[in-house]
Amino acid sequence: MIGLGFALAYAGFSALCLAMERHHEQVFRSRRIPPWRRLALAGGGWLLLGASALPLLQALGWGMGLVFWAGILTVTAMPLAMLLTYAPRLALALAGLSLPAGLVLLLCGA
Amino acid sequence: MKDGFRQSMAWLHTWAGLLVGWVLFAVFLTGTAAYLRPEISYWMRPELALSRPGPENAAVAVAAMQAMAPDSPSWFITLPNERETVTRVFWRDPKAQGRRFRDAVLDADTGQPVAARETLGGDFFYVFHFQLHYVGVLWGRWIVSICTMFMLVAIVSGIITHRRIFADFFTFRPGKGQRSWLDGHNVCSVLALPYHLMITYTGLVLFMLMVMPWGIDRAYPGQRAAFNTEAFGNAPPRQRAGTPAPLAAVTPLMEEARQRWQGGRVGRVIVQNPGDAHATIQLIRAESERLSYNQQSLTFDGTTGALIHDSGDSGAAAEVRGVMYGLHIGRFAGPLLRGLFLLSGLAGTAMVATGCILWATKQRQQAARRGAAGFGTRLVEHLNIAAIAGLPLAMAAFFWANRVLPQGLAQRGAWEAHVFFIAWGLCLLHPLLRRGRRAWVEQFAAGALGFALLPVLNALFTTQHLPATLARGDWVRVWFDLGLLGCGALLGLLAWKVARHRPSAPLPRPAAVLALRSLAEAAP
Repeated sequence: MIGLGFALAYAGFSALCLAMERHHEQVFRSRRIPPWRRLALAGGGWLLLGASALPLLQALGWGMGLVFWAGILTVTAMPLAMLLTYAPRLALALAGLSLPAGLVLLLCGA
Repeated sequence: MKDGFRQSMAWLHTWAGLLVGWVLFAVFLTGTAAYLRPEISYWMRPELALSRPGPENAAVAVAAMQAMAPDSPSWFITLPNERETVTRVFWRDPKAQGRRFRDAVLDADTGQPVAARETLGGDFFYVFHFQLHYVGVLWGRWIVSICTMFMLVAIVSGIITHRRIFADFFTFRPGKGQRSWLDGHNVCSVLALPYHLMITYTGLVLFMLMVMPWGIDRAYPGQRAAFNTEAFGNAPPRQRAGTPAPLAAVTPLMEEARQRWQGGRVGRVIVQNPGDAHATIQLIRAESERLSYNQQSLTFDGTTGALIHDSGDSGAAAEVRGVMYGLHIGRFAGPLLRGLFLLSGLAGTAMVATGCILWATKQRQQAARRGAAGFGTRLVEHLNIAAIAGLPLAMAAFFWANRVLPQGLAQRGAWEAHVFFIAWGLCLLHPLLRRGRRAWVEQFAAGALGFALLPVLNALFTTQHLPATLARGDWVRVWFDLGLLGCGALLGLLAWKVARHRPSAPLPRPAAVLALRSLAEAAP
């Protein structure tokens, strides 16, 4: 469950990044984001970010779950910010991998 | 005055942060180390054998206390857990002069006192981060409390000042001088903001009874004990009867507590008036079980074993404080969550460090235009080196002292702390001889070497070296040695980064800057 929380938070932050011109350029070398894509990325990002709280709340309850969630938001956003600067393609690849990986972790019971 | 409010907040942020920045850096870094307090204590006592906690630990400890301190009016027993595998006891000694408490570390399985070297262990960093050292308990706590209030002011004013908090959320642009320091400062601050606000605010709450005692003094004039009983649900104390009676067995009580707490574990045992007819046995639930630090406890009659008081759940206000207390010290956290706290603590440390460096960089750039840097700029640069590069080096020196100081040295534990401050003091003098970047590189490199050689030193001076602990499955020691290597690598990386850094090209003249800026604004 906790692994899934990490994965959803990372994917959510990545989508939100890609909806911003500066980071879109870092990853795709172009500042122009089609409006529908921006909307989908921003909406999906917020949705994933919100959803990342659910597995933690479910597994740990309100108090501990929220504390854990805040910690996860911090430790997923920081490496993402560094990857965007130093290895933007890797940031994208990890975002793509994180969802299947999170589901695998969930099925393995982690 | 279009931007008046934001500008005044920027002023407040700068000065609230800078004035106490070096204290805050030390508090953040040692406080982060305090998350590993039991692990540090364990590593610093290589004589302790690996043992695993079991259900009979309490009975063993009580039997040991009956042999060691039968006349004492109270025993305080901390049972072993996954993180600290020894039983710690302290008791009041009715015959002792001066400080009337004695303490011992017991083997959890046999109850025999462990002969370990005298050391402050992880308690040193833990205590330093809220009351400093050498200045007295009350002074230290007041200094740290006031600095923490500055910190809270700096955080709130920093949020207001940061006009592009969402647009720059993930932005880090390296190699651009002042701009990069600002980006780094923002990333460390914003991305760990929930933690920074939580740790600063709850840090103040921990000392609220010291900093703002007036409410309680008014409601309970001269009766702090009455307030504590009411607020924290302690059982009212019982007077000694004077007639001897044997102490009830503790193991069935442990079982009863486990059932009442739905499988919850007992962390501490307090026995009052052992051997007397009015003895009590209080079982306190382990801190690792709940978010709130408010104790859940059961008090039993010490001769019959009947339950006489259940602390139950606290009232709402007390519970709020308990949760804040618990959040701050993070003892509820399992290994993974503790890792998150540790990383967030390091982010806070980096936030303070980048903030202090940012100020100096800004002043340097202004000075480069004007001519020479002023005394204030040079002072800040000097203190930045001593605090940011010097403190890790001093921490390495503290661990070295633990391994190298002779076993028989009087006041050995105090000397470990002296070594820490001597090393730090040398770091404060060092930038007088070696200016600027060279001082940074040398102190970081010395710190890196200090940490990286600790596992080697460990192998030379003790039998608890990496191959041995690995073979034995003593994971706390294994991870600690690896962590020391990691600290060394991190400091080495910093030294390398600073050494390799080439100051950016000479600044364009102000006229050119203005021209560029107007161009940028004209562009769509």
